[in-house]
Amino acid sequence: MRANFIFSEVWIGLRRNLTMTLAVILTVAVGMAMLGVGLMINAQVSMMKDFWYDKVEISVFLCNKNSALETCKGKAVTAQQTKDLEARLKAVPGVEQVIFEDQATAFRNFQESLSNGNVLKQAAKVEDMPTSFRIKLTDPDNYQPVVQAAEGQPGVASVTNQKEMIGNFFAMLDKLRYAALIVAIALVIAAALLIGNTVRLSAYNRRRETGIMRLVGASNIYIQLPFVMEGVIAGLIGGVGAAVMLILAKVFLFDGLAGYFAGRGTLGWDAVAEAITYTMMIGVFICVLASFITLRRYLRV
Amino acid sequence: MIHFDNVTKVYANQNRPALDHVSVDVDKGEFVFLVGPSGSGKSTFLRLILKEERPNSGAIHVAGKDLARLSNFKVPHLRRRIGCVFQDFRLLPNKNVYENVAFALEVIGKPRRFIRKVVPEVIELVGLEGKAHRMPDELSGGEQQRVAMARAFVNRPMILLADEPTGNIDPATSIGIMKVLDRINRTGTTVVMATHDAAIVDSMRKRVVELEDGKIVRDQSRGVYGQAY
Repeated sequence: MRANFIFSEVWIGLRRNLTMTLAVILTVAVGMAMLGVGLMINAQVSMMKDFWYDKVEISVFLCNKNSALETCKGKAVTAQQTKDLEARLKAVPGVEQVIFEDQATAFRNFQESLSNGNVLKQAAKVEDMPTSFRIKLTDPDNYQPVVQAAEGQPGVASVTNQKEMIGNFFAMLDKLRYAALIVAIALVIAAALLIGNTVRLSAYNRRRETGIMRLVGASNIYIQLPFVMEGVIAGLIGGVGAAVMLILAKVFLFDGLAGYFAGRGTLGWDAVAEAITYTMMIGVFICVLASFITLRRYLRV
Repeated sequence: MIHFDNVTKVYANQNRPALDHVSVDVDKGEFVFLVGPSGSGKSTFLRLILKEERPNSGAIHVAGKDLARLSNFKVPHLRRRIGCVFQDFRLLPNKNVYENVAFALEVIGKPRRFIRKVVPEVIELVGLEGKAHRMPDELSGGEQQRVAMARAFVNRPMILLADEPTGNIDPATSIGIMKVLDRINRTGTTVVMATHDAAIVDSMRKRVVELEDGKIVRDQSRGVYGQAY
């Protein structure tokens, strides 16, 4: 195998089809960048999920004396009801921990969560605070049984599930990720077709050479490698372009996004490197595949 | 060297066979003319030797190898032992004489040192010394065919196939081409030449195999182009 011969052939091929080569490089770059952004959103989402789902809990608020809620019927929860309810909640499968929050703790938490000078902060008294159960689940997605067990029980004022609240936010991120993936898939298909076309043009341009190579007994690898290498090199250059775009996306998009969450769940460089590695691998693989399939059809050996 | 045993070839979408139960033997070092009208199966015969086509029935042995058992992977190695010359020369227009001949060795991975040694020898053998750096469009038809023969012979094949090599060349120049083919034949290379050129066949007095409608109608040593009288 003579490398310089193969590379001079590759160079000639790329130069002859310059416009097609550029089209391939751009399509691969944008397509792979979209794929990478999809992967990065994925990483970002799962990281934020880990962070937030660790903190989510179900709150079962209990009635107090002045509760205006209909479910309380104006009566405060009794000690027996509280005890029964705790036992009931603990019996639900999937419950990791049940913490009882008394009025004093609730008041303290309430005061901490508000800034000084807030009207509510001064107005609220310890007696106004509801007692509640804070329930941690082993799997935050499996909240239904707990909610069912608590709702409608005597002494229960209301049940709030934090998972449902942040769930909407994650659903939106999921949609974003799927959108990026769909665009990426469309572009990857476009890139594959373009590569196929470029290789076909190349094969047609050099049909004299390949005809003679066949005749004098050049091996299939020798005949096909220059064409495949053309695809691979175009794919690699496109991949580098995609990598640059992904780094820019990390710096300007994801780091900016993380700012809104006060530094919680910032996408690390390792995730970017992983996305770049995957997109490069997929890009080169698609280029090789598209070249081979085209050569099978247009370059009988 | 070339052994056809009851070979029949029918191309797809055609009723009439291109070759019809052809059996023929060509020994090592022989010079064989393949004659017959257009469409009589001469080119099919040559293509079968190269395994560019497969026979529908019958067995073909080339250089001791059964082509039916030769895997696609090994076909290039078969072709390295067979040189080919065509009516239309098939030179690369953007390469000069030396590069055209060297190309045949480069693409089968021969080392550069070897190429530098043998290419000038072959260029001299075909009578093109001093013209190694000409481009094909600066050469006459006869000279271009000499380049094609140099390229076919540079890897010292056991068999040289020539498909109407003088078809595009005037009679006077053709004699020079035949001299080169004869010279190659004298090195021990088996030569099979398909041709319409009666004058050449008559003058050479070599073995003649005549095909008509895919059948061998004549196989004569030291024959002539027309019917034997």
